[in-house]
Amino acid sequence: MKPGGVLLILAAATSAAAQAAPAWTEAEVRAIVAHGPWPAPWTRDPSNRVSGGTAAIELGERLFFDRRLSVNSEIACSRCHLPERNWSDGLPRAAGLEEVDRNTPSVTNVRTQRWFGWDGAHDSLWAQSIRPILDEREMGASAAHVAKLVRGDRDLSCRYRRTFGSAPAADDEKVLVDVGKALAAFQETLASGRTAFDEFRDALSRGDPAAGARYPESAQRGLRIFIGKGSCSACHVGPAFTNGEFHDTGIPFFIRPAQVDTGRHGGIKRLLANPMNLLGPYNDDAKRSSATGTRHVALEHRNFGEFKVPSLRNLALTAPYMHNGSLATLRDVVKHYSEISPDRLHSDGEAILKPLRLTEEETQDLVAFLESLSDGGGNYRRRRFEEDCR
Amino acid sequence: MRALLLAVPIAAAAAAGEACELPGGAAQRIESPRHLVLYRAQPAPLRIGEHFALEFVVCPAPESVRVDAWMPEHRHGMNYRPTVAAQGGGRYRAQGLMLHMGGRWELVFEVRAGGTTERIAQSLRLE
Repeated sequence: MKPGGVLLILAAATSAAAQAAPAWTEAEVRAIVAHGPWPAPWTRDPSNRVSGGTAAIELGERLFFDRRLSVNSEIACSRCHLPERNWSDGLPRAAGLEEVDRNTPSVTNVRTQRWFGWDGAHDSLWAQSIRPILDEREMGASAAHVAKLVRGDRDLSCRYRRTFGSAPAADDEKVLVDVGKALAAFQETLASGRTAFDEFRDALSRGDPAAGARYPESAQRGLRIFIGKGSCSACHVGPAFTNGEFHDTGIPFFIRPAQVDTGRHGGIKRLLANPMNLLGPYNDDAKRSSATGTRHVALEHRNFGEFKVPSLRNLALTAPYMHNGSLATLRDVVKHYSEISPDRLHSDGEAILKPLRLTEEETQDLVAFLESLSDGGGNYRRRRFEEDCR
Repeated sequence: MRALLLAVPIAAAAAAGEACELPGGAAQRIESPRHLVLYRAQPAPLRIGEHFALEFVVCPAPESVRVDAWMPEHRHGMNYRPTVAAQGGGRYRAQGLMLHMGGRWELVFEVRAGGTTERIAQSLRLE
């Protein structure tokens, strides 16, 4: 049976659930089914010639956990992207050599993204992977530092040759970019698993009431809010629960008195000024087919204070929330949207957000739904490299 | 996540009375007192958050044309600025469009002809 053909009452199979679980209209079924299937099909990154390659993944994993990439040999990528914290750090704002201004985004499912970082200042995962290495407040290194490490370490140098087919180049920047591409190849493998929502979504899609009824009533009611009166799915849409774009959600963007985080506005400026963007010479896709967004992105005044719409998959594992980590719990996030003041949004911005005025029960239901988007975590096992690369 | 629109025959009488065609399959149609626009999205159907191009013809052939889209209820347009390349004979290809949210959008063709600009729009709903 195709989704949406009839009014579906998925909870009818159980007497208890029949009281309170929603009956779904055709439009609701279409909206729910649009958040799948999951997992998303694998597609290699055409801008990265080693995307999907086993040698690149192994090299990238080694580099990800290698503290020597930082200027003081103390800070690896995994300092902020911890496997046991769903590849985030649990802190309001990330801290490398110094504390920075934004929350660490998880790199789970990062391969599904179009733009990288809260401001989308990078258009490829490999370029984004280079950014914290060079940032003075994060790892504080340089192209020369990274290239020297790769050339001088026997194992890294060997794995570099396996990955790229030749010894590290004399050009430091080229080696740095290749390090970014190996790091990206590894991060592309970090994907969240199926969730209670996915089981429900698939049951709805195939018209299986018994299977669908296993999804908790509270989560079903929360889902109805999510796709209905909450309009959450206006932005958190698709299998990864994000449209991949940027919005002002009323979170203050003052970092400190008289200093603001410009968000997407600054991100677009940095993107277009970066020689490592997809329009530049390091894109391995000769046709530049993956550069459409970069070629056409528009800089608008309304981009001030806009930040990327994050994926909601494994959301329950990535507190605290928002670009500045200012909301501690999912309940706080729901409360923010329930009580949001239109006065805090740009006057020339989007007329999307309005206070939802959710009841206590609705708040609990929406939180229950959001929690159902997590797989529980813990599915990563670090590779063991017993073989000595020669 | 697709746009709801009606397909129309690929040839129609232009406002000016001349034949107007967009070879290659079914096309959408927008008509104004002065112009007829036939267009086709690539890829189709349109999906939320995916870039697409438009093949289109304007009859009678104008001096120039711009393409844009916006969400009237949300009071915002696209996050991308499309480019339009003339293909000859009133035919064009617009690239770099993306509708990044579900809901009602207006697809707008600004047609410049005879010293004036005409705004020709079509409403579509993306879900």
